Amino acid sequence: MSKGDQILDVRNIHMRFNSKGICVRAVTDVSFPVYEGETIGVVGESGCGKTTLGRCIVRAYEPSEGSVMYTTSEGEIIDFLKIDKQTMKKYRKEIQMIFQDPYSSLDPRMTVLDIIKEPLLANFPRMPKAEMERKVMDIAARVGLNTAYLKRYPHAFSGGQRQRIGIARALVLNPRIIVCDEAVSALDVSIQAQVINLLHDLQKEFGLTYLFISHDLSVVEYISDRVGVMYLGKMVEFAPTKNLFEHPMHPYTESLLSAVPVADPTVQNERIPLTGEIPNPANPPSGCHFHTRCRYCTERCSQEVPAYREMEPGHYVACHRAEELKLKGFSYE
Amino acid sequence: MNNETASKETILEIRDLKVNIKTDEGTLTAVRGVNLTIKKGETLGLVGESGCGKSLTSKAILGINDKKCKAEGEIIFDAENLGRVNLLSLNPRGKEIRSVRGKQISMIFQEPMVAFSPMYTIGNQINEATLLHITRDKKKAREISLDVMKKVGIANAEKRYDQYPHEFSGGMLQRALIAMALVCSPRLLIADEPTTALDVTIQAQILELMKSLQKDFGMSILFITHDLGTVARMCDRVAVMYLGRIVESAPAVEIYKNPQHPYTRGLIGSVHKIGTKAQERLFSSEGTVPLALNLPAGCGFYDRCSRRIDGVCNVYDPQLVDIGQEHQIACFACTGCPYGKGGKEEKANE
Repeated sequence: MSKGDQILDVRNIHMRFNSKGICVRAVTDVSFPVYEGETIGVVGESGCGKTTLGRCIVRAYEPSEGSVMYTTSEGEIIDFLKIDKQTMKKYRKEIQMIFQDPYSSLDPRMTVLDIIKEPLLANFPRMPKAEMERKVMDIAARVGLNTAYLKRYPHAFSGGQRQRIGIARALVLNPRIIVCDEAVSALDVSIQAQVINLLHDLQKEFGLTYLFISHDLSVVEYISDRVGVMYLGKMVEFAPTKNLFEHPMHPYTESLLSAVPVADPTVQNERIPLTGEIPNPANPPSGCHFHTRCRYCTERCSQEVPAYREMEPGHYVACHRAEELKLKGFSYE
Repeated sequence: MNNETASKETILEIRDLKVNIKTDEGTLTAVRGVNLTIKKGETLGLVGESGCGKSLTSKAILGINDKKCKAEGEIIFDAENLGRVNLLSLNPRGKEIRSVRGKQISMIFQEPMVAFSPMYTIGNQINEATLLHITRDKKKAREISLDVMKKVGIANAEKRYDQYPHEFSGGMLQRALIAMALVCSPRLLIADEPTTALDVTIQAQILELMKSLQKDFGMSILFITHDLGTVARMCDRVAVMYLGRIVESAPAVEIYKNPQHPYTRGLIGSVHKIGTKAQERLFSSEGTVPLALNLPAGCGFYDRCSRRIDGVCNVYDPQLVDIGQEHQIACFACTGCPYGKGGKEEKANE
């Protein structure tokens, strides 16, 4: 896929949550650029901070440190995290979000029409009613909802249909970037395929940029141009999709890939076991966060934090031994 | 499979199982005649989307469905103490089924967080089955439970025994749930989406654990899931379910290599196989699974099928037909219709 201009530059995002004197570092020093029209996948186990990262980028959370440089449609570069509320309002409609659970992310007491219309009401209060409804109808039809049913309430729709409502709500403002937080995880496989195809088509049609957060590696591999792997709040590897899946450079990525069940019984990938569980993010291990579970761990790993560096063009990794290790990925035939 | 040796190996046989649910709008037939056999030591995968009746089928085996659900048909289980017995003919609150339920057939539920009571310690809850089925001696029961907890890989079992569910992580809780199911060495283990709520790395650990325990205990597993990846990893045979019916059943390798039923093909085509070149579009069947209320005649997949034959598929009900070694499908477009108009030409066109 051809890369457009840089649309977002996520720089050194930190997010710390304080509660009862305990500081949880949910996201630590994550940076990556995003180009217009591409899809960035973010994967990792639960609790690794991928959702927090997504929410920081749309500024649903106020990150503790860092900046998100956003190139507006006029070519101006602004720091999305520093602008005041008034300016924020102007740009917020350009970055939208689709949520994980299609059951709890829609207000059960609003009709579908009202749900999709709400962003318009909030952002264009003076827009004539008729135009608003026309816009809603258009977008609803585009995402494959039957416009005759828009007066109904969410409970009358199935999971896949609800996710379409969520997509329509995100799209109605003509955003440029959509953060999809586990947007298809709650759906059945055949419905999942429908929604993924829809997201694909919409991207082509509107030139959308996606930040696709998911724990499902198959889906991420399918949809993304570049993928970031997170572990315990840190980005441990970031690379073009094929590079990452074929030649992972971080031992965590390697284990993660080997754990994916492949839908083919003749492929029995040798699993590289991860022992133990994700450590407590309030009290992460010293040095490389992954060293407690890493099979390539050395003295140095437990003392020194590995630098996040570019190994090959576009392939970033944070591992002391990235140069010497030959890790196993998938072999593309 | 009708010869004697095969039937001896069979541990569970489901014949024409129907489950009806009474609703305000009428009777909903959620399971519409399921036929299944599970042999000793094998893992059978039951695959289907939500609402296809796979969980109801598994719960019917144990007789733990909701009161509103009525099961008909036969579920024949090769019980240790009762011989071959139809579980549905037993009193669901009687002594016989209790000697089977939890002891000879046990179940792992989908969400470990919900399956445990937050009010009791893990050890206490695992002990429940031990005390009921194995021994009345509490000290002995504790030993047995601890032993199983160690077997399923719960580190520091003595300490963990006295902890409450909220002190466990998801993966550990799932292990505890497996320990609870295995404590009586069941002959058949029903695993209802045991890894859906878990991360891939933990999922891989749990699946491997189940496989190795299966070898140790020599049990059969009915593995219910919608995830085709875990099925490929775990199962010997696969039965695909759609709208309360088995539409295709075959050995695992066969079903991925050579799927026949249009629904199975769609299901496999809708999943991107990781590590391969991405196809341009994922396959997706039109529409969604219809509600099993007032279903029209004919094949349940008719509305969404790409190979439907008008005048055949919406008139007659397809039955499972043998088309190869242990490979059965219920589809007129693939096997031709015994009632007249054939579907063979359609196949040649494809």
